[in-house]
Amino acid sequence: MSEILWAEKYRPRTLDEMVNQEDVVRRLKEFVRERNVPHLLFAGPPGTGKTTAALALAHELYGEEWRNNVLELNASDERGIQTIRERVKEYARTVALGRVPFKMIILDEADNMTSDAQQALRRIMELYTATARFCLIANYPSKIIEPIQSRCAFFRFRPLSKEDLFSRLKYIAEREGVELTEEGLDAIWEVSAGDMRRAINTLQAAAALGKVTAESVYKAVGMAKPKEVSEMINLALKGDFVNAREKLRELMINYGLSGTDIIRQVHREIFSARSSIKLPDDVRVEVADLVGEIDYRMVEGSDDEIQLSAFLAKLVLIGKRLRESTRSAI
Amino acid sequence: MSVNVPWAEKYRPRRLVEIVGNKKAISTLMTWLKSWEKGIPNKRAVLLYGPPGVGKTTLVHVIANELGYELIELNASDIRRAEELERVIARALNTSSLFGTKGRIIFFDEIDGMSGTEDQGGLAKIVDIIERTRIPVIMAANDPWDPKFRTLRNLSLVIRLNRLRVHEVMRILGRICMSEGIKADPAALKAIATMAEGDLRSAINDLQAVAQGRKFLTLEDVQGLGRRIREYDVFTVLKMLFSARTAEEAKAVLSRSAIDYDMLIQWIHENLPYQYKDPEELWKAYDALSRADVYFGRIRRTQNWSLLSYALDLATAGVAMARKHPYHFVKYQFPKRLLMLSRAKSARQLREAICKRIARQIHVSKRYANAEIIPLLKVIFEANPMMGAKIAKALDLNKDMIDLITGDERCTKAILKNMRQIEEEKEEGERKPFSPLFT
Repeated sequence: MSEILWAEKYRPRTLDEMVNQEDVVRRLKEFVRERNVPHLLFAGPPGTGKTTAALALAHELYGEEWRNNVLELNASDERGIQTIRERVKEYARTVALGRVPFKMIILDEADNMTSDAQQALRRIMELYTATARFCLIANYPSKIIEPIQSRCAFFRFRPLSKEDLFSRLKYIAEREGVELTEEGLDAIWEVSAGDMRRAINTLQAAAALGKVTAESVYKAVGMAKPKEVSEMINLALKGDFVNAREKLRELMINYGLSGTDIIRQVHREIFSARSSIKLPDDVRVEVADLVGEIDYRMVEGSDDEIQLSAFLAKLVLIGKRLRESTRSAI
Repeated sequence: MSVNVPWAEKYRPRRLVEIVGNKKAISTLMTWLKSWEKGIPNKRAVLLYGPPGVGKTTLVHVIANELGYELIELNASDIRRAEELERVIARALNTSSLFGTKGRIIFFDEIDGMSGTEDQGGLAKIVDIIERTRIPVIMAANDPWDPKFRTLRNLSLVIRLNRLRVHEVMRILGRICMSEGIKADPAALKAIATMAEGDLRSAINDLQAVAQGRKFLTLEDVQGLGRRIREYDVFTVLKMLFSARTAEEAKAVLSRSAIDYDMLIQWIHENLPYQYKDPEELWKAYDALSRADVYFGRIRRTQNWSLLSYALDLATAGVAMARKHPYHFVKYQFPKRLLMLSRAKSARQLREAICKRIARQIHVSKRYANAEIIPLLKVIFEANPMMGAKIAKALDLNKDMIDLITGDERCTKAILKNMRQIEEEKEEGERKPFSPLFT
């Protein structure tokens, strides 16, 4: 007996099963009936059903044959022009099998594609319309170049309502024999911010601890966070740069986290109500600005560790200033 | 390009006619490359060897450029890029099989920089690539006679690049002085050229060290400095940088450094907190280094190398000018990150394998799998071994993978025990196909 994660186990397999996004679902079902699909662009926040809708659409179009007719790529992992030129182009140019005359290429997280890759894609989309349809999925559609946007039917996925999310969580809890309290639901809502996948993952982690209450939800979330993030920030604020940088290296090298992953977690940590980091609010704002600046420099720059070390060096300075101001206040 | 770029870089030949010396070696290499147009030749790889600074890397770049090849370059001594070897090459080979063999060259530079133990797999991989390749492979090394290169030597056409002659080096130095507006005494150039012992790069660095910013260069200028103007080791370079009193002094260290600038930046990064104890200084220096890195990022993306001088200004003068207090000597450390990276290599590969499985099964990116799902699995594995065991089975995780996720031996054992239990129950179920409930 084996079991995949609940977020996958309870992923809707058909368009009818999708409880939210009625407008999107209605239009997609029309495509299935006509057996004709334009290029698609699904945009919306994480965990709102974009990937699910793409997979369900593929299921309904191709039935049992779907695996032979769908190429699924995640552009975060394969974001370069090479992938587009090689895998996508080769796949797009060959003829579809079965009753539908075209194949489908799902490009998840397409907003992470480099602009070169997008330029290459734009040509491929036109060259192979006879044999392939693209479904691009993005959190931020503005990062998709305009020529591609204009070639796609645009679908906006709305954030999930609290009711939709809760009813799904309750359904899963019931099926899994998990006790779920109202406070537990509220806590999951708070940490997941309307992201269904994160919500179900959080539910499962809390359920692993037992009954799902606000307490177990926060405990599970706390356990999932690498403790090195808050340790790193606190060490830097205390003035211990060398050990703070050591923690940074553990996060990057041992946990395999990217600079962007880390700076996001730092940001969450600085503003989290349950954080161990004690800072006056005006300093929090100052640090948030710094976090943003470093995030930007990482996007522009080439060495995340140097950028994050610069961040830590500034924290050391802020920590020193804070100590001096408390001392002079006394 | 402005004056701050190392001259060795500024005057690196871009075209074949600009390359001096080694005519025979160059024509052998050209003939071999052209033979690929008629099909895969007997030897699929070339091993270029010769002492430092005779132009191995430059030659490969220039020839590729002139014959219209795209270079897929792997600097094999660079630990940071070692893991990319497999991925980059696989990609290059795939492309060629799709679009024919013309168009690309795989170039492994500095293969004797590979460590015997750490990168053993790396050398074997290169051998493997040469045996399968359908595009030209070129390697460069200083000393290819180490026994560990025997297989590589046998598979390759070995081409030697000789030390440059004194008059060849002099000719280049003279050309540089002309473009820099320096009137140089030929005797001075001859002294530098002789001292360089056929290493053109170091000759150019030496020239820059004594002649930059001057109108005239005499024999005295050169003799006074003697052999000491050869490249300095990294410890001396760091000391010169951190004790520099002017921006110009700080910038000058680059032309005297025995290691290239991206490695030097790793050394600076490592040693900043030991050199700068004052938080004010530390932040100022890191801010400069961080801005330098932004330029490096832009250069990498746009290939606009004219930005290099700004990056180097910030990385040297920017870092040095952060100093408020008098220079104090510190014992400089080797960049620890490079050690950590090479030690964590196998764990990284294991993590990558786990992420790949998760990504495929639940339709997320590998990055998301690493940042979001692995921590979730850790919680489940710790709190609920039975639930964990079921997931571990679904993802087909082995003991090492489970261990990497839990980071705790006891927890791993609990998961494995539960996995065995599931296995036994399954077998039991298979033996008795009817559940007792229905009898």
